[in-house]
Amino acid sequence: MELEAVFSSKSRMKILKLIYKLGQLNVSDVARRLKMNYASTSEHLKVLESEGILQERTYGRVRMYRFNEGSVKAKAVAALIEAWEK
Amino acid sequence: MAPHQSVFKDESKLDINYIPQKLPHRETQHRLLMEFFNFILRCPEKMAQRVILTGDVGTGKTALAQHFGSNITSEANKRGIKFRYVHVNCREYRGSLSPILHRAVTFFRPNYPARGYGAEEILTTLMQVLDEENAHMILTLDEFDSLIEKEGSDAVYKLTRLQEMRQGKPQRLSFIFIMRDLKAVEQLDESAKSTLQRTIIRLDRYDKEQLVDILNDRVAMAFELGAVPEDVVDLIAELAFTETGNARFGIELLWRAGKYADAQEAGCVEPECVRMAVSSIIPGLRRSELSELGLHEKLFLLAVARYFKENEQAYVSLSEVEKAYAVACEEFGETPNGHTQIWNYAQYLSKLGVLKTEVTTAQTRGRTTRLSLPTIPAGELEKELTASLQAEKGRA
Repeated sequence: MELEAVFSSKSRMKILKLIYKLGQLNVSDVARRLKMNYASTSEHLKVLESEGILQERTYGRVRMYRFNEGSVKAKAVAALIEAWEK
Repeated sequence: MAPHQSVFKDESKLDINYIPQKLPHRETQHRLLMEFFNFILRCPEKMAQRVILTGDVGTGKTALAQHFGSNITSEANKRGIKFRYVHVNCREYRGSLSPILHRAVTFFRPNYPARGYGAEEILTTLMQVLDEENAHMILTLDEFDSLIEKEGSDAVYKLTRLQEMRQGKPQRLSFIFIMRDLKAVEQLDESAKSTLQRTIIRLDRYDKEQLVDILNDRVAMAFELGAVPEDVVDLIAELAFTETGNARFGIELLWRAGKYADAQEAGCVEPECVRMAVSSIIPGLRRSELSELGLHEKLFLLAVARYFKENEQAYVSLSEVEKAYAVACEEFGETPNGHTQIWNYAQYLSKLGVLKTEVTTAQTRGRTTRLSLPTIPAGELEKELTASLQAEKGRA
């Protein structure tokens, strides 16, 4: 996906900011906190995961997302949020 | 007028949750715990341990476990071992295993969902998380009896046979089970009982001299120099000794006596302050126990206390209390819970020994639950609960 396509979504940016702030969250929790529906939250998370920014961990039935520690893209996004939100 | 000088230097050292740097007269038990768990420091993945700590109220079980927890954590950190000591009071979670295990998981995954997952699932998650983090944990289950009572043998079995489901994987989770007496263990079926391994450390009641030492330590930490004379410490130790050697009771008494001294601007804690403190402590219910009650349990108990304060009766029906409870809820801006929940509060408080419940057959039809407050003065109870609820409201 092109850079502009990944970051053109307000919801995806909100998701990234939230996960950056809280560390690790499951799909329902992200949806609840951002007042979004489950299906679209899950879709956005999958996009961010496929782009290597987020990483999914499964604990039984719980899927939790966090920043992909080994990813350069994740580091760049984290730096952007850090600089922007200061 | 010159401001009054308090007898306290740091009263937080008398708080029920404060864990002192050293625990007088529990050195042997501390060493024993270190012996049982020192494999965590030497070969952490090779084994897991389960220890039962048992002893009467106020014999230092919780303090010992937490003190040990903090020591072994710093020792493990020094050696570069990722280790967590987690202390959970099972009674706070009404003895349900799932929220207890959830608490342990949240030490590593703070946003792990709180609802909708069974104990077994959360236990698997806990092990997965410990594997991911390459960490080790001692999970202390305080008031373990309440877990046995609620969940029975299955829960104990799940916890203690954990490693069998993980053949060949590192051992990461050890347990300390804290209980007042071992009767609850006897209720378990044979297989669950045998998995507890029965490594038991028994804490005997403190004798008077030991209580004097404990109180002297706290006096030095919490009071201004010379604010608590020797004979006052002796008097409190004597009272705590007659209360089954209960150090917690002694410390609570010390704090209250200090409060009376301050209220009277006495400048030091006099024996009369101790006598006043004794008469102000509600028999049958300590401040520590009161603070562990949930918000609606307190509101329910407040309703009972008010009813008995205002009515010269020995018994009250649950439906009468329900009305008084609704009023108390309104006063504190809470929505009252339904009848079933109220019945649960009555049963729980009866189990704690605060209330007495009995079912009577009504003359016309059906059965009714009636309550009595046999050992606690209603006025004192009301005062304590109102203060506690106001404090809780203030914190919210």
